Amino acid sequence: MKRLFVKHPAEAQIALLAGGDLGRWERWRVARHVARCAECEHEIQALREAGTELRELAAEMPDLPNGLTWNRLSQEISGNIRVGLAAGEAIALFDKPAPAKHRLGWNAALVVLAATMVFAIAFWTSLPPQQAEHLLASLKRIRTERIGTMIHSAAATGEEAVVEASSSGIQVKENGRTLSLMQPRSDGSTVSISMQGSAGVRFVDADTGQVTTNKVYYAEQ
Amino acid sequence: MRSSSVLLASVLALVPLNGVLTASALPKIDFPSDSPVDLLSADYGESNESARGGALLLDFHAALSLRNSSQRKIRGITLLVSAQDVTPGGKGSVTLTSLNVGPQETFPVRIDLRLLRPLRASSGVPVQIGLDGVLFDDLSFYGPDKLSSRRTMALAEWEARRDRHYFKSVLAAGGAERLRQEMLESLTHEADRPSLDVQVVRGGRATNFEPEKQVQFSFLRLPDSPIDPVDGMARIAGNEARAPRLEVKNRSERSIRYLEVGWILHEQNGREFLAGSVPAELNLAPGQQSRIFENATLKFPQLGAQPLAIESMTGFVSSVEFSDGTLWIPTRGDLGSPQLQRVMAPSDEEQRLAQIYRKKGLNALIAELNKF
Repeated sequence: MKRLFVKHPAEAQIALLAGGDLGRWERWRVARHVARCAECEHEIQALREAGTELRELAAEMPDLPNGLTWNRLSQEISGNIRVGLAAGEAIALFDKPAPAKHRLGWNAALVVLAATMVFAIAFWTSLPPQQAEHLLASLKRIRTERIGTMIHSAAATGEEAVVEASSSGIQVKENGRTLSLMQPRSDGSTVSISMQGSAGVRFVDADTGQVTTNKVYYAEQ
Repeated sequence: MRSSSVLLASVLALVPLNGVLTASALPKIDFPSDSPVDLLSADYGESNESARGGALLLDFHAALSLRNSSQRKIRGITLLVSAQDVTPGGKGSVTLTSLNVGPQETFPVRIDLRLLRPLRASSGVPVQIGLDGVLFDDLSFYGPDKLSSRRTMALAEWEARRDRHYFKSVLAAGGAERLRQEMLESLTHEADRPSLDVQVVRGGRATNFEPEKQVQFSFLRLPDSPIDPVDGMARIAGNEARAPRLEVKNRSERSIRYLEVGWILHEQNGREFLAGSVPAELNLAPGQQSRIFENATLKFPQLGAQPLAIESMTGFVSSVEFSDGTLWIPTRGDLGSPQLQRVMAPSDEEQRLAQIYRKKGLNALIAELNKF
């Protein structure tokens, strides 16, 4: 039986539609698909339920422990970084001195990293709760989607070797590379496969009359 | 640096790259100094390379001329073909059996090899050709035997002797006309035998669309087989068969170190074919029982226009090697059983003799039989 393949909207678009964050045109386009697709409708329903649950959970969580403010948190992070840098410089005195431009490069990277962290925290806290939840859900979804794709890809290629036999030739495929032994002009051929990971094709060479058996094997190194 | 390499590869992929192989890309042929065969010449006439997208396709067509430098007749030779940079775990071999090459005589070996590798792969010698073994007419052997070619060629030689003996006796008992009938039957059988493409993958299932079921083997018991298949099963899902488990018993009075079980698959609509073999190296004392398990999957992409649906399977012992190095193979009588006859290919020697008859006629066939 043939299976029909329907092109569904991207998962990120479904998620945005569920959160009511799609633009007008996109909303109309995706909603039109969802109206006719039980699978996507179910997905949206599930997302909306998950969103409700998350909002309920977030409402129950305290903002920050007593006595802590974001400014203080930021100062502590910067202070820790400074202490780390000072310790690193002290240890470096006992090592072979590295070129000055390398030290400057690492320092600059750490400063940028610290600034990014402070900015990210400030940005996160400034977001309205609904937007923050939505962003979190979207990031989570994208992450899951990416990891899912990677796993699928690894399973599909499997980093595994495949040995194939057909009357025209035999081959061993390994990581997208192939070694094939082809069958020249011949009179009849017999294919054979061994469960230990080899394939063979036997034929009588039309020119020489010799019985030739080509085989490919795969053995893990 | 890396991006420039990628750019270079991309540009190269767009430029048609076709041409003869450079000397550095030609295979390296290396025989041991005490080898019983000498390499007289190697012709790579039509070898070439061409770009296929981001990959390089290397087509080797080697016509080697070898000479028997030993004092014995050569019955078989196996050359080992490897491409370490391309497929580190993969190897190939080219075996000639049913040879009859006397001392100082020359014989040709043809190797048609294709390699597909990334454009950016190392540019060293891609293919090495070496000697894995030579089998002589007294069944003695020379070579490193990395691919168990001694056993493979010895089995072929035993089958060749069995079949030559059979056809000689047919000729003696029934004359040339009976021999002609035998050859015609052999050619018809060869043409009618079902064949199909097959993949073998080490490990688990290659697909997960079809539900999997466990199917019991039925066994074809050959009367004088030294091995008695006791029990067996495999997992079947649609066009895949995997993880065969067999239980066998040594019913001979000698220890056994190797056996091979042929595997016949029956399709839902009644078609059947020889799927492959389950080999096992073991140490089985007389009367002892042992289990064989192979964690591999056979996948049959398609049988003609229809997808394949495996329903049941039959196993039979196709060869045995005793601990003293002697071999057992089924007799011509065993192979005459209807089920085996439907699926088994004729031996190397029978196929060779049938082609001599087809191309050169009955007299040439009789002359060939009389050489042995």
